Parts: sequence; structure tokens; C-alpha cells
Amino acid sequence: MSFTADKQTLDDLNLPGKYKPDSIYNLFNRVHTAGGEKLLDALFQHPLTDPDEINRRSELFRYFQQKKLPFPLVGESLNVMENYLGAGGGENFLIAMIGTARRKLLDSIVRDEAYVRIKTGLLTTIGTLRTFFDFMNRLEKEDGLDGPFGKQLQSVKKIFNDRRLEGLRTEWDAGEWEAKELSWLKVARYDHLLRRLLQTEMATVTGIIYQLDVYMSVGYVAALKGFSYACALPAAFNTIRATGLRHPRLERAVGNPVSLHQDGNMLFLTGANMAGKSTLMKAFGISVYLAHMGFPVAAEEMTFSVKDGIYSSINVPDNLSLGHSHFYAEVLRVKKVALEVSLSKDLVVIFDELFKGTNVKDAYDATLAVTEALSEYRNCFFIISTHIIEVGETLRERYDNIQFARLPTIMEGMTPRYLYKLEEGITADRHGMMIIENEGLLGIILSEKEKASLYPINPR
Amino acid sequence: MRFITDNQTLEDLKILGRGDNSVMSIFNRTVTRGGAELLDELFRYPLSDANAINHRSGIIQYFASIKAVFPFSGELFDVLEQYLSHTDERTRLSPDEHTLGKKLTHLIAEDTEYKNIYKGVTAVIDILHGFRSFIDSIGQADEFPYRAEKNAIAELLSDPALALLVKEQSNKKIPYNKVAAYDTLIRFRHRDTIKRILGPIYHLDVYISVAKVALQRGFVFPRALPKEQHTLQLEGVYHPQLKDPVPNTLHMTPDSNLVFLTGANMAGKSTFMKSLGIALFLAHMGFPVPARKMEFSVFDGIYTTINLPDNLGLGASHFYAEVLRVKKLAKELSLSKDLFIIFDELFRGTNVKDAYEATIAITGAFAQRRNSMFVISTHIMEAGEVLRQQFGNISFQYLPTKMNGNDPVYTYTLEAGITDDRHGMVIIRNEGIIDILKNGKKKIS
Repeated sequence: MSFTADKQTLDDLNLPGKYKPDSIYNLFNRVHTAGGEKLLDALFQHPLTDPDEINRRSELFRYFQQKKLPFPLVGESLNVMENYLGAGGGENFLIAMIGTARRKLLDSIVRDEAYVRIKTGLLTTIGTLRTFFDFMNRLEKEDGLDGPFGKQLQSVKKIFNDRRLEGLRTEWDAGEWEAKELSWLKVARYDHLLRRLLQTEMATVTGIIYQLDVYMSVGYVAALKGFSYACALPAAFNTIRATGLRHPRLERAVGNPVSLHQDGNMLFLTGANMAGKSTLMKAFGISVYLAHMGFPVAAEEMTFSVKDGIYSSINVPDNLSLGHSHFYAEVLRVKKVALEVSLSKDLVVIFDELFKGTNVKDAYDATLAVTEALSEYRNCFFIISTHIIEVGETLRERYDNIQFARLPTIMEGMTPRYLYKLEEGITADRHGMMIIENEGLLGIILSEKEKASLYPINPR
Repeated sequence: MRFITDNQTLEDLKILGRGDNSVMSIFNRTVTRGGAELLDELFRYPLSDANAINHRSGIIQYFASIKAVFPFSGELFDVLEQYLSHTDERTRLSPDEHTLGKKLTHLIAEDTEYKNIYKGVTAVIDILHGFRSFIDSIGQADEFPYRAEKNAIAELLSDPALALLVKEQSNKKIPYNKVAAYDTLIRFRHRDTIKRILGPIYHLDVYISVAKVALQRGFVFPRALPKEQHTLQLEGVYHPQLKDPVPNTLHMTPDSNLVFLTGANMAGKSTFMKSLGIALFLAHMGFPVPARKMEFSVFDGIYTTINLPDNLGLGASHFYAEVLRVKKLAKELSLSKDLFIIFDELFRGTNVKDAYEATIAITGAFAQRRNSMFVISTHIMEAGEVLRQQFGNISFQYLPTKMNGNDPVYTYTLEAGITDDRHGMVIIRNEGIIDILKNGKKKIS
């Protein structure tokens, strides 16, 4: 079964999306080939739930990160090669040969371009294959066939040593390949060989090229951004621990530790506006998702037991066109998550500003009731943030499996400064009025006299 | 001076756009393309002068009262516009070319170029005739709002340049020589005169189509009062896009220039605010409004804040977005403009204590701008009590919820006071969320 995340969650965390400049997908998208891009997209669409598979994949990324090699092939040539191989060859050699001869003839008589196109395609493909085989050889020499990329090395090696490629190999070993003008008969023979006889083998080779492209690109980004690889454990361990966790999109972000487990499966997060609650929650959600893909995460260290899926509720849209108020939209979202949780799936759930679209009393009752009911599911992990700090006090008295964390604000004169550093406890910071005063709202609306008579003392 | 508003407002109220739900789509019934363009322009530029508003609304009202029908088909104008837009000298018909040879060619194969010119010329003649007889048929009494326009049109139509065309009978076939002469007249010599006649026709199209909508939908024509009167009398206002809307009544003056609106979720606060905004917007266009009766003093502009986007991508919290929005409004108010301001769920993006203090401070400050009017909704009903003691010019209204057993029932009718209806928990219970969680399978003890 695949790791699940619905559209709302993917949007909240801004995970996939080639056309969204800030998406996490684009963070890793340093690939050189269209096929690599497709493969990367597929990896984003299908996170894993098998810890061994996850660890194997992150080994691959780590391997290429350590190799620090540039991608050996040119994207342009790969496109030519893909087009060429994709066009398919003739039925048998005789027909293929006659076809080539005809094209050659047309070329010399009426300057038909078909022959030149085939010849260029063939030469580019052979050139690319050569570079690729050389590269794979080098990897094999350096690390043998037992490394993380060993399986791929082996299958490429087998193709390289294929008896049918022998003629071609001798020719390029002779070193005169580029200089020599290829006769039409040879064009016909190699064309038939690569496009018809070795069709499956060539498909395997291009597939491995795309994998290489993605692995190197992800490894490169990991090194560039200082990401690390999470260690996956079987579900029964029921834990997610990370230190130095940060949002991968932010430069110079402050790292925070998060640790959720059987006896502390819920994190109750408070903090003033702009103190960084949403960012921390997004950072956690993104890391959990990336970790399940075997991708590097923006943390110093991370260990996690695999989960079945993740649900977040950070920017719930109103859907007023359906007549739903903001509050009702939130209720429906919570209901959906509650249904999933009750099916005894192991989930990670993130709720930002639960029930902000209603009055205080309702928000208090609703947040308390839902939080209490959720916290009983020890196999699921929750991060819940709220403005209703009073809920926290009540929960603290009743439960010992809830952790309380806050993001503090310190005041420097009249300006709030945010530390973005998690502390234990429930916040008492409120700076809403401060922001209003800093923006000078009352002064703009009222004259000084009016202001003095209406608000003789500073409301704070 | 132009009536001011902004994109946030236009989107909140869904004023523009040809989509199904926009306010414009209700009125978008013009026959001609030119009329549709003009309608668009009227929506983009509402008026802020009481006389201009009353004048336009008087004209539309007049056409509604005589149940006027637009005398032309839309295609006629498509033909005409296309014809007039061809100003290439080479397409001009020359009288000399009408030789026997040409005639023979016409017999055998149709000359499309000539045909198009012929169609264009007859369209002009038809339009001139139709317009004349329409103008003559209306406004026999001296006192009627379209008088000035009618006189101007009559003058345009009797322009000596058009005399030949006017004399031509529209139902007879016109010989080649005459067509060539008319073509020169219309396209090259007096093109501007012809174009000048189109303007009033497109206006007429808009007036008549709006009048029709007013009749069909039972909209009422508001009366605009001079700005200095500072008053709004709005009776039975409702949302034009709802199937069974509940009408509401609201009176505002400088002595009660701020409405503090409370109500449970889904009780209809946003809908009421939208219908209010739409009525005011249409009224400033001189258009009929979905209400029973409306009198209003003219405002300099209207601003609504109903669906404020978070802009979390830019790192601004919802609260900060609200603060910036209030700041923008405050700046406009400080230029001593008379504004109508609607704010839904003021300060919902912050903690309770802050929201409480901020709501009192900002609402109190707004209330001091007696020449502007405000409708502000909030969940922080506690702020209402404080404001009630501090200010005499705030009117408190709420939208009630009645409980029918376990189900909330909404009346959607304004009542005076502050509500303490809270049904959030009822909704959560009705959705069965807590039961789902209580009865679910918990894996580990």
C-alpha cells in the first residue's frame, strides 16, 4: 500500500507541482532530461511504506551525493537519442537495408532529409551510449558491483557485453569513430541493431539513465542545502524523531527538535501571530513526506517508523460557493480526518489554527473535544496549533501523552522579535494590539484629540 | 469625481465578469455588442453625483414604465460595424465602373464585395429610419427624463449630410449608382456623423435591457440624495443571486452610522453584507436594485472585506493581512472621504484577547467618522457590550438561530441586539465527529 496524502495536504505543504515555483518538487528538480523529470514526478506521487525499500532508496541518493560527480551526459543529445530510439526500426534486416538504401538514394538525388536524420540520430545515440558505458565502467571500477547502484551497473554491463554489440565496440575502441565517414551499409546495420534487435536493452539503458539523472540531482541538492537522510524503521516502533528540523525552502532557517512517540503522540503548539507556527508545522509535514519517499530531509538527523499517510489542514478554503462558511469547511475537514483515524490507520495529522472561523466559546469547546478524542489514538501522531491557549491548560491537567510547545516572541521596545525556537510550555504572548499600534491604525483614523479622549490610557 | 472601489470589493460582491454568478450577468441582456461593451463600462465606473444618478435611473425607469422594446436586431449592428470599419479607399465603389461587362459578371457570379457594401448601406438606412420612428414614438409629454437625449438625437438625425439617406426608402432595391454614392457618403465623407448616432443607440440598448430586467425581477429604482444628507434607507434588500432570499431592512444616519453585526455561523451574516454591498453599488450606477425601497445619500466609494485572502505564501499571517486592509481603509477615511465600509469577521486571525481589544479599538475609531457608514460583523460578541456602553451611535443587529430539537434553523432576518447564539458544537455533534473517534479502533492500549 502506498503512503497517502490528499490534495489539501499536498497543497498545504506545496509538495508536487512543476509549475509552482516554490514547490518542493522544484527544489529537487535539477534533472537534465525530460525522462528524469517524469521519474521525479512519479517518485513524488508515490511515497513508500516499506522501510527497507525507503532505506535502499536513500542509500542511492547518499551514494551519489558522496560521489560528487557531474551528470555525464548532455540533455540535448539524450532528447535526440530518445526520439531516435522511439521511432522504431524495420522488420528485418533486408527490408531495413533496402529502406536505408532508398533514403540514401533520395538524399543524393533530391536532398531528402530522412537519411541525414537517421544518421545523426544513430551517431548521437552511439556517442551517448559510449559516454554512458564509460561512466558506468568507472563506477564499477571504483566501487564494484555490490554498491547501492550495483544492480543497475550489472544490467548495463550485461548489455555492454552483448555479443551483438561486439562489432560496434571494436569500432569505437579503434578510436577512429568520429573521424570516419560512415558508409550507408554500416548505417543500415547499426540502425537495425540498435532500434530493432536491441530494442528492449536500449529501453533498459534509457531507463537507467533517467534514474541516474534523478539520483544525482537529488544527491546534489542534498549536498547543496545540507540535507540529511532519514532512517526508516518498521511501523511497530511508532516513533518520529528529528533534530534541527527546518523548512527546506527557507534559507538560514532555525532548526527545531520534534519527537513524537507512543507516550507523547501529540504536540500542542502555541505562539503569537507570525511567531512561526505554520512554518514549523509545514516543515514537519514536508519532512515526513520526503522521508517516506526516501528523499533527503531538511533536518540534522531524523529517525521515523513508517506511517500509512499524512493529513494536514493549514489553509482550508471557504468554499462559499457551496454555501459553506469557513467554520463548516473546517468541520468537514476534521470529520474527514477523524474517519481516516478511526479506521486504525497509522497517520500523521497536522491541524493549524483549528476552528478559527467561529466564536471563542465554540472554538474552545470544539478544540478541546476533538483534541481529546484524537489523542487517544496512540498509533497516530498529531501536531495541533491554536489561538485558544486556554484549551492547553485544560489538556495539561487531563493527559500525560500530550507535549506542549510554544514559539516565543520577545519585545524589543515596541517591536516584536521572533526567535523561531521551540520552548516547552504554553505561550502567554499576545502582540496583536502591538502590531495595530506599530502600523499606526488608530492615529490614521482619529485625530490626536479624539484618540486621547477615546482611549485615555493605552489599551494594553 | 469618480466613485471609488477596489478589486477586493469587486470580487467580494462578484460584481464583474460574465460568469453565471456575477451581478453583471443579471443585467447582461443587451441586444447589440456595443451595448454590452457600454454596460461593462457602466459597471466599471459607477457615479458619485446624485443628479447624474437620478437622471440615469429616471431614464431607465421611464423605459420600464412604457415597457419599451429595443427596435433593432443585433445582427444589423454587426453588419454595420464591420462595414464601417473597412476604410480602405480601394474598396470604395466607383460609379464609372458600372459597365455592361460588370453587369454580366454579376449575373453569372455573385460579387461578394459589392454585396457586403450593399448590405452595409441598407443597414445604415434601416437604422436611421428605425431610430427616427422610435424617437418620434416616445415622450409625447414635455416632462420626461429622456428629453435632452431625444432632442440631441433628433438634431443628429436631421444633419443635412444624412438628408439623402433619410429620404431613401428602406424596402426598395437600390440601383448601383446610388449605392456607390451612398457608400462614399457613409464610409468616407460622413463616417463620424454615422458613428455619432451609434452612441445613443447603444445607450438606448442598455437602458431598455436594464429596464426589462427591473420589470422581470421586480427590482426597485433607488432615489439618490445629495451627499450632505448622510442617510441610507434600505427596505427589503436581498441577494439577487439567491433562489429564495429573505429580505432585510436597514436605516443608517450619522447618529447610527455603524452597524455591529453578530450571529452564529451560517446564520447569514456574509450574505446580508453582500446584498447590502451589491445594492449600494448598483444604486451608484443609477441601476435598479433588489430591494423594496431605497433612498441613499451619495458616497465617494465603497469598500468591502468579506473574503480576505491570507497571502501565506508571502509569509504574512491572516491577522497581518487584516491589519493591512484596515490600514488601507483608514488612509482613505483620513482623506475625509465619505465611504461605505463593510468588514466581515473583523480580526478573526488572532487570539481571543487580542481580537477583543483590537475590535473595540478599531470599531470605536471607525464610529467617529460620522460621515461614513460601516457594517462590521464579528464573533467577539463580548466586544459589543463594551462598545454599547461607550458609543451612542452604534447600532447592534444580529441574525438569529432557532433550535429545532438538535438542528439549528436560521431565520435570516435582522433583529436588534447582540446574539449569544453558539452552535458550533451542535454542528460538530451533528456531523458525528466525536462519535466516530470514540468508536474507532484504537490499536495500542
